[in-house]
Amino acid sequence: MNRIDDDLTCYDALELIEPFVDGDLEGAEAARLRSHLAGCHACAAELALAERIQRELRALPQLDCPPEIVERVRREGAQVLPFRSPVRPRGAGLPFRIAAAAALLALALWGGALFIRSQQRPRQPSAAEVARATQEARYALAYLGKVSRQASFDVRDDVLARRVVLPAAQSVSHTIGLSLDAAPEKPAPARDEQH
Amino acid sequence: MRKLKIPGTALALFIAASAGLAQPPPPGLVPFDDLNLFPRDKLSVEVNLEGGMLHLIAAAAKSDPDFSALVGGLQAIHVQVFPLKGVKAESIKPKIDHAVRWLEERGWKANVRVREQDQETFIYMKEQNGKIVGLTVLTFQPGEEAAVINIAGRIDPAQLGRLGQTLDLPQLEKVPTKGKKPH
Repeated sequence: MNRIDDDLTCYDALELIEPFVDGDLEGAEAARLRSHLAGCHACAAELALAERIQRELRALPQLDCPPEIVERVRREGAQVLPFRSPVRPRGAGLPFRIAAAAALLALALWGGALFIRSQQRPRQPSAAEVARATQEARYALAYLGKVSRQASFDVRDDVLARRVVLPAAQSVSHTIGLSLDAAPEKPAPARDEQH
Repeated sequence: MRKLKIPGTALALFIAASAGLAQPPPPGLVPFDDLNLFPRDKLSVEVNLEGGMLHLIAAAAKSDPDFSALVGGLQAIHVQVFPLKGVKAESIKPKIDHAVRWLEERGWKANVRVREQDQETFIYMKEQNGKIVGLTVLTFQPGEEAAVINIAGRIDPAQLGRLGQTLDLPQLEKVPTKGKKPH
């Protein structure tokens, strides 16, 4: 804590930095603060930091968010987030606010980067790459058809639509096979008996 | 610095917006990497097509309306074929069984299970709200090959079947022989 030969302590100066940056400080008070800042590197550094944060926050891109999300966040945030502390000791607010603003800035930069990255279009594939991918897709579907046929199962048929669980497609053929095996032999066509 | 007092709303907004950017994977997608079925460096065929590339394929194949419509509704096509010639079947069979368990534990329903001698083929489907959103085929033919095929997205079985019939062996002769990175 510095004590300069003006009548402003560092506590007082830090309290005045916020309205000073916002342009809300009256002439005489602004002059006192300037005088203090001229002789106090610590407070001057705080001012520089505050100005930088304000500048960078204002430079952040404006993000569009669906109105329903905004409304929902407002509604839920109002119940959860203590936006204002009713009592705050004099002088304790600024460092907290600067730290909070810095954290918010970091978070905003991260969120902005994430958003911008998501907006970036992927590289457009060339016609040759699309042609090759088309061939791969056709191959994949052909392979699927081949495997399905090997499994005695046509994906096309209404079997899929009915979602019949076949313990084995072969069980059908087995059943048919068994029934054929079990079927009594047809009697030989009657022959005309010789008289 | 009153203008610096960004309300908590904005903070929460950022978090909500950021969270909204992360999209969940398609419900019918099977993460082959998690299943760790076959060693990727030994695959004879690997196809990985997702999202935007499938839309481009659909757009480029307008002359084949069935194929274009089917592919346009898909979110992912993945194929891995692993040759089993000279490979002990015992080393792969447990992995197929593991994949079957993995699918069943996650709500996939077996439509077909074929066990014929040593060969096995499983066809699994995933449904969501009464619609098919995923199709996975596992096949295991000792001495020949093992394969897994996963198709995620809007699947019309009839359409898929028609294409499976028309895209036949001539297509299979154009087999991509090298493993490829996902697009």
